[in-house]
Amino acid sequence: MINLAQKDISHTFGKFIVTAMGVGMLLGIVLIMIGVYRGMIVDAESLLTDINADLWIVQEGTIGPFAEASRIPEDLKDSLKAVPGIDKSAAITFQNIQLPKKTKPVRVVAVGFNPFGDINPLNLTRIIAGRNINKSHYEIVVSAKTGFKLKDKIPLGRNIYNVVGVTKGTVSSSGDPLIFISLKDAQELQFSYSNNRIRNDRYRGIKNIESHIANAIIATVKAGYSAELVAQHINETQYKSVFTYQQQHTILVKNVVETASKQIGLFTAILVVVSTIIIALIIYTMTLEKIKEIAIMKLIGIPNSMIIKMIVQETLLLGLLAFVFGNIFSHLIYSKFPKRVVLEAPDALSLFFVILIASILASFIGVKKVISADPSTAIGG
Amino acid sequence: MSTQSIKVENLVKTFGQGENSINVIDGASFSVEKGELVALIAPSGAGKTTLLMMIGCVQEPTSGQIYLGDEKVYDNKWLTRETRKIRREKIGFIFQAHYLIPFLTVLENVTLLPQTNGKSKLEANTKAMELLTYFDIADKAHSMPSSLSGGQNQRVAIARALANNPEIILADEPTAALDLTRSIDVVKMLKKIAIDQNVAVIMVTHDEAMLPLCDRILKIDNKKVISVATKEITSV
Ligand SMILES: Nc1ncnc2c1ncn2[C@@H]1O[C@H](COP(=O)(O)OP(=O)(O)OP(=O)(O)O)[C@@H](O)[C@H]1O
Ligand SMILES: [Mg+2]
Repeated sequence: MINLAQKDISHTFGKFIVTAMGVGMLLGIVLIMIGVYRGMIVDAESLLTDINADLWIVQEGTIGPFAEASRIPEDLKDSLKAVPGIDKSAAITFQNIQLPKKTKPVRVVAVGFNPFGDINPLNLTRIIAGRNINKSHYEIVVSAKTGFKLKDKIPLGRNIYNVVGVTKGTVSSSGDPLIFISLKDAQELQFSYSNNRIRNDRYRGIKNIESHIANAIIATVKAGYSAELVAQHINETQYKSVFTYQQQHTILVKNVVETASKQIGLFTAILVVVSTIIIALIIYTMTLEKIKEIAIMKLIGIPNSMIIKMIVQETLLLGLLAFVFGNIFSHLIYSKFPKRVVLEAPDALSLFFVILIASILASFIGVKKVISADPSTAIGG
Repeated sequence: MSTQSIKVENLVKTFGQGENSINVIDGASFSVEKGELVALIAPSGAGKTTLLMMIGCVQEPTSGQIYLGDEKVYDNKWLTRETRKIRREKIGFIFQAHYLIPFLTVLENVTLLPQTNGKSKLEANTKAMELLTYFDIADKAHSMPSSLSGGQNQRVAIARALANNPEIILADEPTAALDLTRSIDVVKMLKKIAIDQNVAVIMVTHDEAMLPLCDRILKIDNKKVISVATKEITSV
């Protein structure tokens, strides 16, 4: 039996491929957009997951360093050790800084931690060159996204820092690249003022006592203790806000990236709808374009089933090709995006099915129209 | 088995309804024998195509009866839901333009219907090649219709109409796009087919030169179908 779809496609092969590529690019853009959305959520959780602390102790009345400013005395990490159930604890700082660079300063989030402390917030598996910092001063680990390399020298504040390690994929909750420095350096950068200001303050009787401040104390809980109960205990005895890992996670996803992710999410949803409509229209038009040939087929007596088979086969093939092109396209360009784009197979598959169903529906509407037309229209009256 | 291939009784066709309705055919009765080539003439707009399309089970009449072969297909309504099956199995259409399917080769165009009707590819191809050879166009079997001339395509279209061994051939101005010699060739061919394959052929034509080649002439006159003799033709 003659396969009409195959014959029709090979007759207009170039046009068919170009259409598939066009539809594919549209799908690719939708895939990228879904990836941007996914990437945002992954980025938001990334640092929290890397640090992997059971408890976050922050300034009373605040919800933690990811959502708002929090200041807490560094030495709380020591007194916490007396709390039953606490295993390890460490002070940690976060601050936005600009790394000077010839072309354009790079905006990063600096994580300050004690390299000799109990908890290491740097996920060592992310180091692609060099090592973690192991001196109290002037060592820095940077994310590869910053563009700095091992052994580069970066002037920050009053000092020059040596790049001792490079990481891949370390990002702040808002997707900015991370750098890691020692707690002491971080405190100096964050809390020390200029000489003039110090002199001025001294005259006014103010002493800079802030250099032993951190943004949060992170702690782990011994096996057999419930993080919630320990958190409650600290909250009652220390007059601090305490959050478990889960609570911080919720805060991140709910408070910090919610608006942004809703924004991107809504945009993605609209993009999916719009491209579905566009693709459906393309398929519909493709079907209607064949109205003349189909009318002739009907006139000479070709059954509807053969005509429908032809249209559906062409639609399926177009969808499949477009899907392949879309995936190639999105995988070619996704790494060029400055922030993380996460392409996941299930997303691609669901999109494929949405588009496929829309296309088949569209072709059916087209076919219905074509089939219900009077066959004598084929001969023009 | 009767020799009658087409019988039409009291056929009426009215387009539209109410005040805007146009009554095109009103009580046409005639029949065509197997092996007969009949010309159908009438001025433009008189309803020749409409009549052909009704016999071909393409357009539904308003009332009347149509018999194709031994089968009564229309009696004030279609007697089968599958009018397309009747078309596919009994009727070969030839039109003024060739109406070949542009994405199929000449050979595929000719074999499409027989294959749809369950003939094997080999069987269909053999028969098609015979027909194409008969119409002197076998060397174009694997070409696309777009690369053939109008006359060549018209011969392919005739081959397509015959490929399925139809009982009836309905030809609507098959020679209108051809020059005189080609036209005469085509009509002679139709006559030969009518005899060789015992097929009833109705051919609509505006070309007086074709009439002497036909067995009989039918004319739509005053919304009815009448028989006329060749010498009575003054204008068509
Ligand atoms: N679908 C339709 N709806 C309404 N009127 C129609 C329709 N088809 C044909 N007619 C009318 O029926 C009449 C006969 O048309 P038909 O095409 O059968 O004429 P014809 O004899 O084949 O003419 P021609 O020689 O120009 O081909 C015309 O007046 C035409 O306007
Ligand atoms: Mg006509």
